[in-house]
Amino acid sequence: MPAARLCLPVITALLLLCALRALLASNGTSALTELLEEAEITPSHQLTGIGSHPELQTTSHPAKMQSAEDGGSAQGHDIVGFEMVKWQWVHVQGPFLIAVWILVASLAKILFHLSSKVTTVVPESCLLIFLGLGLGGIVLAAAKKPEYQLDPDTFFLFLLPPIVLDSGYFMPSRLFFDNFGAILMYAAIGTLWNSFTTGTALWGVKLAGLMDRKVEAGLLDFLLFGSLISAVDPVAVIAVFEEVHVNETLFIIVFGESLLNDAVTVVLYKVFNSFAGIGSENIQALDYVKGVGSIFVVSLGGTAVGIVFAFVLALISRFTKRVRIIEPLFVFLIVYLAHLTAEMVSLSSILAVTFCGLCCKKYVEANISQKSRTTVKYTMKTLASSSETIIFMLLGISAVDTSKWTWDTGLVLFTLLFTFVFRAIGVILQSWVLNHFRLVPLDRIDQVVMTYGGLRGAVAFALVILLNSQTIKAKDYFVATTITVIFFTVIIQGLTIKPLVKWLKVKRSDHHKPTLNEELHERAFDHILAAVEDIVGHHGYHYWRDKWEHFDKKYLSQLLMRKSAYRIKDDIWDVYQKLNVRDAISFVDQGGHMSSGKFAFASMPSRTSFSETSVTNLLRESGSAVCLDLQVIDTVRSGRDREDTVMHHVLRENLYKPRRRYQGNYSRHFIAQGEQERQEREVFQRNMRSRLESFKSTKHNVYSSKIKCRHKKEHKCQKRRNAEGINGQVPNDKLQRNVSWQDTVPVFVEVDSEDEEKDKSTKVREQEDDEGITFMAKAANENPQERKFSGNFEYPQSPSVIPPSPTCAEKELPWKGNQGDLPACVSSETNKIVPVDLQYAWKQSTSSLESLVSPPVSDAVFQPKALDFMLEECTVSAALPVPRHPIHFQFPCTAGERSTDEDTMESIQQQELQPLMSAESDSRPVPSAGLVSTRWPAPFHRPSYVSALRSLVTSTQYNIKQPEKSGNMQTNL
Amino acid sequence: MGSSPSLPAWEIRNLVHTTGFTSEQIEILHRRFLHLTDGKPTMCRDCFDNIPDLECNPIKSRIVNAFFDRRNLGLQSNGTVDEITFENFLTILSFFQHMDENHAKEDLEYYKMEKLQFLFRMYDTNGDGKITLEELREIIDELLSKTSNTEKTSSSIADAAMMEAANICVGEMEPDQQYDGITFNDFLKIMQDIKIEAKMHVRFLNMDTTAICK
Repeated sequence: MPAARLCLPVITALLLLCALRALLASNGTSALTELLEEAEITPSHQLTGIGSHPELQTTSHPAKMQSAEDGGSAQGHDIVGFEMVKWQWVHVQGPFLIAVWILVASLAKILFHLSSKVTTVVPESCLLIFLGLGLGGIVLAAAKKPEYQLDPDTFFLFLLPPIVLDSGYFMPSRLFFDNFGAILMYAAIGTLWNSFTTGTALWGVKLAGLMDRKVEAGLLDFLLFGSLISAVDPVAVIAVFEEVHVNETLFIIVFGESLLNDAVTVVLYKVFNSFAGIGSENIQALDYVKGVGSIFVVSLGGTAVGIVFAFVLALISRFTKRVRIIEPLFVFLIVYLAHLTAEMVSLSSILAVTFCGLCCKKYVEANISQKSRTTVKYTMKTLASSSETIIFMLLGISAVDTSKWTWDTGLVLFTLLFTFVFRAIGVILQSWVLNHFRLVPLDRIDQVVMTYGGLRGAVAFALVILLNSQTIKAKDYFVATTITVIFFTVIIQGLTIKPLVKWLKVKRSDHHKPTLNEELHERAFDHILAAVEDIVGHHGYHYWRDKWEHFDKKYLSQLLMRKSAYRIKDDIWDVYQKLNVRDAISFVDQGGHMSSGKFAFASMPSRTSFSETSVTNLLRESGSAVCLDLQVIDTVRSGRDREDTVMHHVLRENLYKPRRRYQGNYSRHFIAQGEQERQEREVFQRNMRSRLESFKSTKHNVYSSKIKCRHKKEHKCQKRRNAEGINGQVPNDKLQRNVSWQDTVPVFVEVDSEDEEKDKSTKVREQEDDEGITFMAKAANENPQERKFSGNFEYPQSPSVIPPSPTCAEKELPWKGNQGDLPACVSSETNKIVPVDLQYAWKQSTSSLESLVSPPVSDAVFQPKALDFMLEECTVSAALPVPRHPIHFQFPCTAGERSTDEDTMESIQQQELQPLMSAESDSRPVPSAGLVSTRWPAPFHRPSYVSALRSLVTSTQYNIKQPEKSGNMQTNL
Repeated sequence: MGSSPSLPAWEIRNLVHTTGFTSEQIEILHRRFLHLTDGKPTMCRDCFDNIPDLECNPIKSRIVNAFFDRRNLGLQSNGTVDEITFENFLTILSFFQHMDENHAKEDLEYYKMEKLQFLFRMYDTNGDGKITLEELREIIDELLSKTSNTEKTSSSIADAAMMEAANICVGEMEPDQQYDGITFNDFLKIMQDIKIEAKMHVRFLNMDTTAICK
């Protein structure tokens, strides 16, 4: 079939061409119209064009015929009856265009943000509207008819819910309810006031004859118009206020108002709309009563729907333990159902979604896994952002359509004036009332911003488009006016609000992160205030909040949260966790600077030189990286671990982690000072400091650092492994257990890390990358004394012993270059390591590499082994005069014996907690420890503190050989 | 308690002057006071047990203690008293008064200090002018008690909080320097970001709602 073979490339090329055209068309070029017209061509029309192929008449697909038409001479396969490629534009038209539109909007966003200057001055919403105007103009010019307008149904059913959900879900609930009174007042009374005054004033203007006579509208029409034009729009408010960082109270009031006024707007709109339909003469008194009543029904009903669905959602999320992967879906589905349900029974859907998001958050967040949480957050933000983008763009496009609107300068100008003036008056009056009750009164500046922040948006537009032009004669005028008002508020006010806020010196939101103490005190406040209200016998806000919290804790949380989540759930604990993450990040931050500064020691060169290390290293590194990922996924999937782990496990985790990271630190440089006790104390002290100061980091951070430090660890591990291999002590079965124990790790630790990280700039992440190395540098820097100490004995070893191993070489160079006494230490270490390395490790590199391949195992093995190894070194150096090599080999044996004896869970715990167990004596640490501590900002060695920490540990019994043991224990677990 | 003896006018005037409450508020509070004490002129600790809502407050004992703390009552020595009069009661409650913005700046500052002092004393149970780690742990224990957390959590949080406090207050410490507790000055530093005047505030009624309800 040469013909078919021939036509295949032709058809493909054609398809590409058409796709390109479609794309171009959607971009607004003139090709659009052609394409659309082509797509809409009726079969009969086409048949005339391809009359030479009568067989085609049988095929009903117009698109295919079109391709046949275009294909021209290459035809032939149609006759055969089988088509390899079909042109099916009609088939995909709808979704295709939607996708292309979203793509265009998103690309536009990228373009806007190419220039940071533009976006800092002009809000994105403005730019999008301009883009929409431009695109709409092109489409209009090309198609001669308006396309792609903002369709009210699309808007209310698809575009609005994501935005409202996003704002409801991420609403700071405490802040919201603290200001609930003010928000409610502005939303309800403010909107009513605005609607009625604007409507009546416009009517008055009409009566006064300042408007075109063609504007046929009575009082009801104007009231209807007033109701839709007076509502502050959530989409516009979010879009603009997100970029203006006013203080949170101000923001929550404007924002909350924009969300909650939906009920009032919708009700007023519906009431007046139906009244206008009935005709003012037919309205009975009962209708007014119904109208007023419907405000309550719609708002409370919407809220109730939201709360009910929130309850359902929270309850469902409690049982998704084994289907983690679809957890996020539940969130979206149920919230969307809430929206649709509210729409269905004509309640306020915005309220439903807002309250659903607001109420479910606490429980859902506690129940779902961290991954799901991230997914939910990102998906929500993505959806909301794209909806917003599309809304503004479509607004711009819709405005171009001149057929729908009729301009009347009088109406437009007066509407602008009235909406602004009456909002100002309303805000001032209400603030005056509210200030009698508020703790922090709203001052003049706040009121100005609130007035100015009264942006109108797409909701008003959608509502005005929905008007029935039969009953509302002046619809076209209203549409024009609405569009103008929206554009004016979004563009002019949006542009100027930032300078205004700056000029008025509005209190900005201070982004200081919560400190643990603040959280503690605030918590104490709540209780104190509630107690005082109890004592005074006045049931005020604090009383009810306390009651609610009590109820929530006692019943709701029990019902809606998983047991494990419930246990962990606590504000203070949350802050604690967050702080840890923050500290870790700041540590990394600090480290990044340090590494570039005077603290750049061994690690710096080690990094660079490591990059040139052997292939095996690289292989190993990549292998381990993979394994990390796998492990994470595994643990998340397993799901059970979270349930299994209780509070103290988390704690222990936290205690354990620093130590894990520590290994690199103290194992390397922690060369014993002769007595075990000192060692312990130092471990404890350093660990405490490090834990609280810096690395109490998350798994994530550990991972990243691990990856980075992989080389070093691997070197050591491998050496260790080889050494062990010689002793016949590669505990494979025990490794397994280690892994399983570690399963719990990522679940908990990641919880906050990811959350936190999302907010971090990429810069931080980049710095994070340096973490591992930096860490090493600090470690090296930390204990010069020890180094000196060790150096005395070990330096004598001849440099010739140093093998071609990169580790050694790297370690060597920097020390020599920088500090006098430092080289001793490192070289000593390397010397110590080298022989082992040379003799065993490198010979068996291939075999060890193989053992590294299996991911989780290798990961689990690495650190413990490294630690073990390092600890050994410590002890080695403790027993100074003894030749190094023999000891080195002996140790694993003894370790193995010991560990088998005490291979119990308790010992694991002990070992995990070991760093926190202080030595019996509470005295000041030895000088070296003090020296070490210098770099930590706030070491405090207080007896009480020490003892308090000691009490942390269940098993106070402390073995002098603990460090060794623990190290070995770990290997064997 | 219809037969509650109302305070003599001169005393109310006196109290208005010393505590800053309005006379209406004082009368309401006096009625409440008598209700709690069963008509006795002084109040003892047991009186607070009559308040059912207070039972579920995790830091109840601390709050009750504050009412009997000599330092809060303007007495010089440390320790607690056994019984307080209505005036003492008002003095304690006046810590929770709302501060009007139209006061002089120094006054506002003074009130803020007073409030912070009150809080500080609530933490500093033994009255040595320092919130030690143990004291911090105690209060965290109490705050967390409702969530059935283990002791370890609270102590590790206390450690972290103490560490943070040391960081904020002292900054870089010498290696052999010890941080043995949060002094009041440190406390001020810690609390500087919290708008205490806006938070530590209870609305005192000018009208007796309980009377209306009954």
